[in-house]
Formats: sequence, structure tokens, C-alpha cells
Amino acid sequence: MALVFDEIQIGDVMPPYTSAPITRTHLVRYAGASGDFNPLHHDETFAQAVGLETVIAQGMFIMGIAGQAVTSWIDHRWLRKFSVHFLSMTQPVDLNDYQTTKDRATITVSAKVVDKYEEDGEKKIRCELTARDAQGSRKLKGFFVAALP
Amino acid sequence: MADPSKLGMEFPVYSIRVEKNKIAEFVAALEQKDDTEQINPLYRDVDAAKKAGFENIPTPPTFSTSYVFWTGGGLLGTIKAVGADLSKLLHTKEEYEYFAPVCAGDVITRKMKVVDMYERGKKEQANRYMQVTVLETDLINQRGELVIRARTTFMERG
Repeated sequence: MALVFDEIQIGDVMPPYTSAPITRTHLVRYAGASGDFNPLHHDETFAQAVGLETVIAQGMFIMGIAGQAVTSWIDHRWLRKFSVHFLSMTQPVDLNDYQTTKDRATITVSAKVVDKYEEDGEKKIRCELTARDAQGSRKLKGFFVAALP
Repeated sequence: MADPSKLGMEFPVYSIRVEKNKIAEFVAALEQKDDTEQINPLYRDVDAAKKAGFENIPTPPTFSTSYVFWTGGGLLGTIKAVGADLSKLLHTKEEYEYFAPVCAGDVITRKMKVVDMYERGKKEQANRYMQVTVLETDLINQRGELVIRARTTFMERG
């Protein structure tokens, strides 16, 4: 499945990648793994004190999921740039109200090739990337650049 | 509120060793797995990593966020150093440039500075006023090579 510059076309899409519904346990696991102990992501009392209904996912957790989507498609060594804007907050699924809250916590990452060019002696593609929840709300948008063989 | 006089400020320099188990733990979090045995072998098995062309187990694309969180007083230390208020902060943008792979066993030195600070909106409209801070972090390996440059933008509500 190795991608080759000459075979990839502008408009080609990355295989979409969908997360499991994000639980509070996933947020705690990411906090411990990354060291991001902002209480906004695990402590309901802090989230409520700053005016939110509940805790929200780390933006970098969503970007990390997007990174997994990208490196499931292109060889990790080829990535040259990866940039995102965070657009909206992600609330985790409520386990006591799973059916009505799972869609807000399920993230699908999609991307497509928008440019092919040579730069610094490398053959590169630029892809636009978006992550949305299952309700269609955009979580982040951005791009990545990869150098392909 | 973030203090505009901090523009140009350089944070203390820290070094951190990239630990194999920490990479597996990070990937388990991103892949939403309960056990590091269940993750992509590239991120837990040296032989799989070597077969894929790396010297050792590589770090995933956003792993370098953790170098800032695990050194220099972590998130709160960084935020206090620019005078910002955690309860009003939003992370709005993150950018990475990759120059060379970072693998388990590497020792990464992080050099972070405040490269931009500006206001958005008008102070009189508190709900629309934002103070923007941009941090640039150069990550340099034990051979002195710049491996990743990260730019982090956050906004603080007025």
C-alpha cells in the first residue's frame, strides 16, 4: 500500500478514520500519557467553575487521533508538516446516557490531496484535513505535507 | 491576562530522554486501547520499527507535546510564566515541522520562546476580547540536530 508520488492525484482521499466514542477514561489515559493535566479535561468541578457543562477533550488528543489517521495512510517518516486549527470543543460520551451522547464523542478524520509539487529536492503532497464528530460538527481543520518516494 | 512584556521571552532550556514505554502509552491513548500490546507494533516493537526503517521505536507525530508538559513545571508552569490565566485559556492552533525522526533513547532538548503576542477585539467588549500568545519550540536531539519545530497558539478570553 506504499504511496508513490507519481501515482497519487490531486483530489485523492485519505481512507477515513473513525475513533471509538471518547469516554472520560480515554481523556484520563491521554492526560497521563501526555502529561496534560489541565483539570478542564478530567475534573467536572473545574469545568463547571469555568462555565462549561462538563469536561472536554484535550485538543491535542483530537490532533493525535488525526495524526494516527494520517500515519495509517502515509509512512510516518514522510511527514514534513502537520498543522491544525481547533474549531470546537469535544464532550466525552456519558455512560449513563450512551445512545444520545455517543455521536458528539465519535471523531472521524478525513483528508484529501490538494497539491503536488517539488520543494527542497523532494516530491511533496499537501493534504487538507478535517475532524468532525458524528453530528457533523467540525473539531479541527488543517493540513499536512508529506514527501513521497 | 498574558503579559505583553513577555514577547520574546525565552523559557529555561530542558532536556528529556524519550522513553520506549512512554511512546507505547501515548499511542495506546490515541488508539483508545486498554493495553500497549494491542497497539500498532511500530510503536512497541524494536524489530517492527527497524523493519520500517527507523533506528528505534519512533515517536508519533504529536508526541512532542509531552516534552513541554513533563518539564519546566508542566502546563501550569508555562502558563504562569507568560502571566496567563488557565481558566480562560483556549488552545487554538498547533503546527509541527518535522526535520528528522525522533526515536526511543533520543535525548531531546527543548528551547521554547514567546514569538508573538497580540490582541483581538476591543477591550471594551469583554466577551469578544482575546489576548493571543504564540510559543515556538525547537526540539534538538543529542547530535545537535533540529528535529521538530512546533508552534502553539493559545487565546485567553478577556
